[in-house]
Amino acid sequence: MEFSFGASATKIITTTGFSSLGGGDAIMLLVACVLLYLAIWKKFEPLLLLPMGFGCLLANVPMSMMQSTDSGGLLNFFYQGVKHEILPPLVFMGVGALTDFGPLLANPATLLLGAAAQIGVYFTLVGAVYLGFNMHEASAIGIIGGADGPTSIFIASKLAPHLLAPIAVAAYSYMSLVPLIQPPIMKFLTTEKERKIKMEQLQPISQTVKIVFPVVVTIVCCLMLPGVTPLLGMLMLGNLFRESGVTARLHETAETHLINIVTILLALAVGSSMTADSFLRIETLKIIVLGLLAFSIATAGGVIFGKIMCKMTGGRVNPLIGSAGVSAVPMAARVSQKVGSDADSSNFLLMHAMGPNVAGVIGSAVAAGVFISLFGDTVPEPHAAIANVIGTVEPGAKAAIAQVVGALQH
Amino acid sequence: MEVSISAAFNVSILAMAVIFTVLAILIFTIQVLVKLMPYTAPPAAPPRRQKTATSASNNQDDHVAAITATLAMHMGKSPNEFRITNISQR
Repeated sequence: MEFSFGASATKIITTTGFSSLGGGDAIMLLVACVLLYLAIWKKFEPLLLLPMGFGCLLANVPMSMMQSTDSGGLLNFFYQGVKHEILPPLVFMGVGALTDFGPLLANPATLLLGAAAQIGVYFTLVGAVYLGFNMHEASAIGIIGGADGPTSIFIASKLAPHLLAPIAVAAYSYMSLVPLIQPPIMKFLTTEKERKIKMEQLQPISQTVKIVFPVVVTIVCCLMLPGVTPLLGMLMLGNLFRESGVTARLHETAETHLINIVTILLALAVGSSMTADSFLRIETLKIIVLGLLAFSIATAGGVIFGKIMCKMTGGRVNPLIGSAGVSAVPMAARVSQKVGSDADSSNFLLMHAMGPNVAGVIGSAVAAGVFISLFGDTVPEPHAAIANVIGTVEPGAKAAIAQVVGALQH
Repeated sequence: MEVSISAAFNVSILAMAVIFTVLAILIFTIQVLVKLMPYTAPPAAPPRRQKTATSASNNQDDHVAAITATLAMHMGKSPNEFRITNISQR
């Protein structure tokens, strides 16, 4: 075989990433660096945004075969865990193992605050439809208002996989901004007198109730909304590991090693879907604006329902705990505690706010289940319109075909 | 688009109704569970062997001082404004 220095050098140069680096790739590399900055220096949900940002970095290196759509690539394998709805339920199992439902069981009426906070999801659904998204896409965007990362990823991957990247980034970014977004809304909607309301001490709950609760929730909710079973079932399994007292090893694994491993895989996979084609679109800006709307209205909905409960109970419920109905556990509960203690330093709302906070986790899962029941079996295949013409396509071509079909439909 | 917005409203109202219904059923279920399985306080621990009077008294004074200082710091008041009169073991 003849060796030509010039030809070999040319070949090496043409196979470098620099030769294929486009403007979109460069911008996405910059976006990845911004996510890493936010995660590390600003501490915005670093456990998710750091691997997500790095996954974005890897995916946007040209010819690296690290995009979620690059068949046979490393991150494509991780992405199968998102695509086949494996990783988000496993995260939920870890969340269940970490969660104490005691405050909720002591005051079960706070479940209604978790329900009221889901109003942000549906306001955003309407807003997204108004901005031109179809119902599946609007549902996936609206679920950002549930303030639950795994649920957002689960619904987005099921109903609008082409919007997974901006939805995940918006969801986790706004979750980290809860201490900034919520307090002004809470103070605007409540009076000083309402913020100073002290609530009665929570009644103790028997351990038997704590053990039976996850089983009962699974049976009741999953029979009514079977689509929610992967999420809610795993949440309750993790909680049963915690409360049963006979699975200490499984509990420890679920709340530490398993959730850490799955978080790495999930965030990398989501980051690998952040390509120029999927992220640098006007829809991303719309999703970012709608995400902020979702969070704000969810907070307002929870506080307003808290005021209603305050009136109905004769002033025994502090409306501030309503804002904890968004399921950003435990940050939203801490925000309720902080705003309450700003009004009266002797007021301890944290444990009372944990009730609606964990109720919000169940509420957002139920909201997701409603979407799955309504839209889960009618997901439009982006390239179905021309599948009969061109037959089975390479995975890498699907995104391009989806764009063409989307443009034709509009 | 008008049809889609009205469809979105209908979906929203239906979904919120479903969510409230599901969670109301859960509330009722939890209340039944709590009623059927009420909390019972654990049996009192057997009395421990008495330490010498001096060491027990010193330990309690240390505990009182630590608790007083922590409460005062947390509530933004002076420790002199508190007087812990009794500490009892459950």
